[in-house]
Amino acid sequence: MCGCEEPRWGSGHCAPGPMLLLSLLLSAAPFGLLGEETRQVSLEVIPDRLGPPKNLLHVRAVGTNSTLHYVWSSLGPPAVLLVATNTPHSTLSVNWSRLLSPERDGGLMVLPKDSIQFSSALVFTRLFEFDSTNTSDAAAKPPGKPYPPYSLANFSWNNIADSLDPATLSATFQGHPIHDPTKAFANGSLAFRVQAFSRSGRPAQPPRLLHTADTCQLEVALVGASPQGNRSLFGLEVATLGQGPDCPSVQEQHSIDDEYAPAVFQLNQLLWGSLPSGFVQWRPVAFSQKQRGRESALPCQASPLYPLTLAYLLPQSPIVQAFFGSQNNFCAFNLTFGASTGPGYWDQHYLSWSMLLGVGTPPVDALSPLVLGIMAVTLGAPGLMLLAGGLYLLLGHKRYSEYHPIN
Amino acid sequence: MEEEEEEARALLAGGPDEAGGGALGALPALCDPSRLAHRLLVLLLMCFLGFGSYFCYDNPAALQTQIKGDMQVNTTKFMLLYAWYSWPNVVLCFFGGFLIDRVFGIRWGTIIFSCFVCIGQVVFALGGIFNAFWLMEFGRFVFGIGGESLAVAQNTYAVSWFKGKELNLVFGLQLSMARIGSTVNMNLMGWLYSKVEALLGSAGHTTLGVTLLIGGITCILSLICALVLAYLDQRAERILHKEQGKTGEVIKLTDVKDFSLPLWLIFIICVCYYVAVFPFIGLGKVFFIEKFGFSSEAASAINSVVYVISAPMSPVFGLLVDKTGKNIIWVLCAVAATLASHMMLAFTLWNPWIAMCLLGLSYSLLACALWPMVAFVVPEHQLGTAYGFMQSIQNLGLAIVSIIAGMILDTRGYLFLEVFFIACVSLSLLSVVLLYLVNRAQDGNLNYSARQREEIKFSHTE
Repeated sequence: MCGCEEPRWGSGHCAPGPMLLLSLLLSAAPFGLLGEETRQVSLEVIPDRLGPPKNLLHVRAVGTNSTLHYVWSSLGPPAVLLVATNTPHSTLSVNWSRLLSPERDGGLMVLPKDSIQFSSALVFTRLFEFDSTNTSDAAAKPPGKPYPPYSLANFSWNNIADSLDPATLSATFQGHPIHDPTKAFANGSLAFRVQAFSRSGRPAQPPRLLHTADTCQLEVALVGASPQGNRSLFGLEVATLGQGPDCPSVQEQHSIDDEYAPAVFQLNQLLWGSLPSGFVQWRPVAFSQKQRGRESALPCQASPLYPLTLAYLLPQSPIVQAFFGSQNNFCAFNLTFGASTGPGYWDQHYLSWSMLLGVGTPPVDALSPLVLGIMAVTLGAPGLMLLAGGLYLLLGHKRYSEYHPIN
Repeated sequence: MEEEEEEARALLAGGPDEAGGGALGALPALCDPSRLAHRLLVLLLMCFLGFGSYFCYDNPAALQTQIKGDMQVNTTKFMLLYAWYSWPNVVLCFFGGFLIDRVFGIRWGTIIFSCFVCIGQVVFALGGIFNAFWLMEFGRFVFGIGGESLAVAQNTYAVSWFKGKELNLVFGLQLSMARIGSTVNMNLMGWLYSKVEALLGSAGHTTLGVTLLIGGITCILSLICALVLAYLDQRAERILHKEQGKTGEVIKLTDVKDFSLPLWLIFIICVCYYVAVFPFIGLGKVFFIEKFGFSSEAASAINSVVYVISAPMSPVFGLLVDKTGKNIIWVLCAVAATLASHMMLAFTLWNPWIAMCLLGLSYSLLACALWPMVAFVVPEHQLGTAYGFMQSIQNLGLAIVSIIAGMILDTRGYLFLEVFFIACVSLSLLSVVLLYLVNRAQDGNLNYSARQREEIKFSHTE
């Protein structure tokens, strides 16, 4: 919103020019969206007729000239494919036998193939836990002594069809480790709530990211799991497809506007390529209570993206392999929620964080009409008063001088 | 001791002639109440009189994160600490002048109010030690009973000793000292907290309480100043046969209905202006950390820069306004600059030092130009009531706005809070413009230059 982007990781300040400021004050209209205003959104759990139910959720968002496909799945680690096509008629074809075989290539296709404008994927690979008791430096990496991480590929997930809600266009993947020797997840779960939108808007709960019909929202919530330490911090490893040899970058955008997420002046953005391409957007804030407010807000640190080398074998996502083939270079980044001081997961055994995934130009916040309205009145009133007063004095003075000779 | 002896000697030597003034020449300048040197000594004491209360007033701002963390409260509740300070003063300031004039007298009044400040700070600290937020609130309430009335007493002392001499300069200097108190607080308390934390081995409500208790030492210092000042004032009364500092005439609350329109406008300017400065500073530290990425120390420093600038600039601006007159124009400049500064903080990511320095300058200018204006529009016998009333409604404004500001911050964030403050300053600006127009229309004396004032004074004495 301040119109300044920082290509490299790191914090710095940049100032919007006075002209931009002026235009912000003058224009109450929201920024025009390059994508579609509204889309016909349908959610479908694609059944495997030959085997037990599997979690493959297809979100199809049809506009006048384009179709967006979001394919969410918990086969292997939770993952999402996003595919943008330039026709309203493109379809997803799933070959279950191929998808479940070791030779997955071609198991998942969006047809016609030449309509694909952009495609990428995100894989949520591991849940980290750190002991933050003896670290005072919040920005330290790692943020404390690490406990063994949970591999999300080894989680068992509920049946997605049970939580599918066509009214809110949402579905929830809820899972816990298959093998849980410490019984940490006996009363707990990790949930990925996916929501699509048919038009632009803003959720009622912070961080209230502005969404459009081109985006999908993911809320990650860790609830009720017993932490291994008294002051455990949690983190999430997210992997994505690299573009050639380089990894995409995470931009930190500084904004003057924290109306929708009090005291958060930053927006992080991962862009896969030059615009318009795909993007991931999130505010660096997580919450330690269901009632998300400032007192439960945790900082959320994100590491820069790094290429995944052979040192760590990434759990493979069948849907990613099926769509992109098996020869891909992956990049990953880590998100860490909370700091050793302040509120944390330990308060209520609750942690939630949300992000937006989409195609096209990322949504940009504008000053709310209320703010603009108040500013117009508060700056206009004294100005008008000066004008009116000046005129009154001018006229009043004249009258006085007319009467002066009589005196 | 020495002073007393000299005084006795002077009285003996001077005999009945002392009223004539000639006999006092025997006293060293420092001990002669009619001499400048002695007045400077009194001025020093007057300045330190307010130090403790100003130091402790902004303790919550300096320890915002610690208080919210240790006591587990949100911003709305945190801001209640400021609101509770202001509530008693809504009533008390109204009676502050009255109490000083009619009940306690300036000397006892000052001492009693200083005691309240001390006790209040101790209770505030105990609230921390016992982990009882209500007790902290109660402490701030008691502290508030003393705090603002003490400021009224301080002003009355200033008027009584410096009327017709260096009054604006003295107001300015007193303010400087108060600001130094606030600055020291902002930059010291965080450090003190970390030292106490190291000493006790852990952070927590006890650490907070002990830190606040140590901060309370400044209040004891102020109490000592009040005692010495009372003695010197009494001594001056004996030697110079000067009236005890008070406004003299019968003070009636019904005086309020005689207040003129310009005075009411001055009240509005005052309320709308200060509610956009003090609650902002109360909440400022975290704002600079979150929006501009400052470290905790840097945020404390910038949050106190308004006071840092105010300390040396208040006397300078005081002198400037004394020499030039034209108070309304100065007030207009100050309010407009504050508006600009809040706009910068709200709508730009420019280095906040620019905006905060501007705020500091305009804040000092406003104080020097606005408060003396009251003396031009009320008869002398209503001055105490007018000042008391001005502070009373200022406190009403501060109490309400503190709560509103906390709520806005919790639900709508800093941008909206800044917009709210801009709206307040803008209302203040509107009142200044109106005051200028009313003054023009009524041919009032508010905007006279210093020379015009001199001429009028001269023609009156003729």
